Amino acid sequence: MMNNSLENFCSHCLLSLGSQPTQRIVNGEEHAFCCYGCCLAFQVKNGSREEPEAAWLLVRLGIGGFLSMNIMLFSLLLYSGTLDVADSEMIPKFYWLLGILATPVIVILGVPFFKESWDGARQGRLNSATLISIGALSAYGYSLLMLFTGGKNIYFDTATMILVLFTLGRYLEASGRAKAVRNVAPLLEAERQSATVIENGIEKIKSINEIKIGMKVRVLPGERISVDGKVLEGISSTDESILTGENRPVSKYEGDLVLAGSINQHGSLLIECGALGSNTQWGLICQSVRESLSNPSSIQRLADRAAIIFVPIVLSITILTIIYWQSQIPLNQALLNGLAVLVVACPCALGLAAPLATALGMGQFLKRGCLIRGGEVQETLAKIRRIAFDKTGTLTKGATSLIKIENDDATQEAVLQRAAGLEQHSEHSLAHGIVSAAKERKLNIKKSELVQAVAGSGIIGYIEGELTAVGRSEWMKKQGMEMPSSFVKKIRNYESSGQTVVCVGWSGKIHGILLLDDMLIPEVPIMVKTIQKLGMSTVLLTGDLPAVASRIAKSAGIEEWEASMSPEDKCVFLEQWGGINDPAIMVGDGLNDGPVLARAEVGIAVGAATDLARETADLVLPENGLALLPWVISLSRAVHRTIVINLLWAFGYNIVAISLAAFGLLQPILAAGLMAGSSLIVVFNSLRLEQFPDNQVELSQGTSFSSETITTNYQNTFN
Amino acid sequence: MSHYIVIFVAGIAGSFHCIGMCGGFACALGVDPAGRIATLYRHLLYNTGRVTTYIFMGGLAGVAGQAISTQEDVSPKTSMEIMHNHSTLTNIGTLLPETLSTGQRILAVVAGLLMVVMSLQLFGYLQRLHILFTGLSSNTLVRSLRTLLNSRSRSATLAFGVFNGFLPCPLVYAFIAHAAASANIYSGMIIMVLFGLGTFPAMILIGGIGQVINHHWRKRAVWVAGLFIMLLGLITIIRGLFPLTGH
Repeated sequence: MMNNSLENFCSHCLLSLGSQPTQRIVNGEEHAFCCYGCCLAFQVKNGSREEPEAAWLLVRLGIGGFLSMNIMLFSLLLYSGTLDVADSEMIPKFYWLLGILATPVIVILGVPFFKESWDGARQGRLNSATLISIGALSAYGYSLLMLFTGGKNIYFDTATMILVLFTLGRYLEASGRAKAVRNVAPLLEAERQSATVIENGIEKIKSINEIKIGMKVRVLPGERISVDGKVLEGISSTDESILTGENRPVSKYEGDLVLAGSINQHGSLLIECGALGSNTQWGLICQSVRESLSNPSSIQRLADRAAIIFVPIVLSITILTIIYWQSQIPLNQALLNGLAVLVVACPCALGLAAPLATALGMGQFLKRGCLIRGGEVQETLAKIRRIAFDKTGTLTKGATSLIKIENDDATQEAVLQRAAGLEQHSEHSLAHGIVSAAKERKLNIKKSELVQAVAGSGIIGYIEGELTAVGRSEWMKKQGMEMPSSFVKKIRNYESSGQTVVCVGWSGKIHGILLLDDMLIPEVPIMVKTIQKLGMSTVLLTGDLPAVASRIAKSAGIEEWEASMSPEDKCVFLEQWGGINDPAIMVGDGLNDGPVLARAEVGIAVGAATDLARETADLVLPENGLALLPWVISLSRAVHRTIVINLLWAFGYNIVAISLAAFGLLQPILAAGLMAGSSLIVVFNSLRLEQFPDNQVELSQGTSFSSETITTNYQNTFN
Repeated sequence: MSHYIVIFVAGIAGSFHCIGMCGGFACALGVDPAGRIATLYRHLLYNTGRVTTYIFMGGLAGVAGQAISTQEDVSPKTSMEIMHNHSTLTNIGTLLPETLSTGQRILAVVAGLLMVVMSLQLFGYLQRLHILFTGLSSNTLVRSLRTLLNSRSRSATLAFGVFNGFLPCPLVYAFIAHAAASANIYSGMIIMVLFGLGTFPAMILIGGIGQVINHHWRKRAVWVAGLFIMLLGLITIIRGLFPLTGH
């Protein structure tokens, strides 16, 4: 029966796994456990070491808990009356024992609360620590007084359990917060970063503000790259998800550009520093994240104000409770009722309601490469029901692409070959579309000579010794190119529907026409549909002709459109569309419509992180990340909903709990437990946001190219 | 008294389960460089912390059981006063009071069922049930324990024991259910004291030897513990269903 292989045994206790083992990956290895307890225990023993500074807090909590549990047990025995029968003379000795056990607990667990309330009091603020300190100290003091005067009403258990429960609550709350900021943390450390610099062959660790452009920086595998730069030596891949929201590793070879904030994965790299600090995209992101975290939303400001007046109100209710009850029942009972009011009131839940959810929401945004300015924007996004789109560069790719070739007395290939031959000398966006179309079809682009571009009209030159021209139809006629009659009607039709027509002619005759169009980004229709399902009205705003606007709006599924608009017109439209009470989001590419984005209630830029820093946009989607828009809106709504639920819970809970306590219906220890629990409910309710589902619109190919696009954009600025 | 002996024996047999699970911690706490006495002291501290938590939970379960089984007496008073009202409940020698209220009978059946479920878990069945005991804060508990395990101070050892006591464990849950069914603080505590003391010898030994016993032997011992718990559970259920059969 002896089986040496451990495969069928629990990784922790080495017993048989049973029929349904718990599977869990610990430290990258897969393990199976016979029970959940073993799974936890194994993680305790083998998990990586975390938070050594938290040890002292835990030791205090553990020792305090140990003493308090003993106090509680003895007190329970006293209350249950079991000892009355055993020996009534022993009871005073038990009281002394309780007093002796309770004193260290007051010191061990109470001091942090006393200090916090003292610090607050010196600044003229009353906080939750004030309530806890007054509660614990009065219970302890009263019990001591009774102990020395031989009284019977001893409440050491209450004094210590209040402290244990609140310390435990604080600890769990802190764990929850730590979880909440984990996603945001890497985006706060750009300035605190240091790097290994190589000077005269010697490696030195320098902080980011000592590093200068041109220095050589060594980045080991697993390290976060702290500067933008060019790879001098080494092969590796980097994880740029923090900048792009894209989890795919990007290969890096000699001469490639790496971005600050990305993580070097498997090889050591030597980098020549090209930009650092706030000149990097990462630096800008960090800056805006820090600003947003310190920028409370209006709902949070409301909660904070409520929390400030909350403590004095609770103190007054406590005093009123004691005054009322002491005329009805013995003083010790009246004091207990007052104590219950004091410890059941929970300003912490009010204070936690918004910031935790906001930080979690921001973490979710950052995880997908979306940058957002502050909780206020999340809040506004959640409420808005109107959304306006810019066309060029937002819904369409910005570059034109060839959609059709009409030919006459020549093959389509010949038409495109000649057109591309001339257009390769031009910088015009139409020219790019034509040349890339020829390249896509793997055509041999003809050589051209004596090429001359005529602004706004066309381009002319010699190909294979023949005068060739590409351009608008009127201009072509002036160049002496004859127009075949079959083309005349077609051109009129195409132009009236807003498409761009370019004629290609040689040897005195137009042989073909190229039809060019602004291409809708493939994921736009489904994105618009999802947004409309979320109850949003959509509009397209463009400077282009009505024919273009109507066609793009139709194929995108957008309900309304406005054409031939100047940026000023767009601003006016946005203000009038829903009026002051129903403002709109403006989505643009951030290049042409900066002012419009800035004036909109919420401006969303696609792929222009610098806009956030320039304060034109409130939210920046990653390059090609338009498909994230419905997700962004749903997430904002989820965050808002969470905050509202938290606040309702916190307020409702306090009203009910304080009333119960004031009417003498709550025992103080129970009250303290309820209070600590209420903060935790707020924490856990907020942490549900971590499970917020990913994008509802399938990310199309467009997004997966994002990192390269950023690199190319960046390459332009770098060179 | 015979019931208490059963509990104590179940504790001893069950401690072979503990050796598997918490024994790892005992080994990790290891040998104190200051000598044997110091090692013993360290492990006594750890086990005291652990058992204190068990007793505390047993006491609370007893109070809860008492509160449930005397619910016909609910009046707008503090729970402390309720406790005072029943100060004459001195039936401490018996596992369950002789005369059972309806609340107490329901409690006994529920607790007994829980114990049977736990014993089945010890036999390796019903593993999916662990989801029921998966608190939201379990990861926090894991992190806390890990932090404490890495700290070398004596007080950390005691604190570790205290937290360790809160780790989910079918054995502990079974006895807590039993404590609740006793519907009395005192007997609830005694049940957990006996169970805890039962686990003492093995856990102290394991700390000293620092080696885990052959898993086949442990497996058999855990079966024995499971049988005891099932027996206790069945007795509890029967008492709930037929209160007049006595014991």
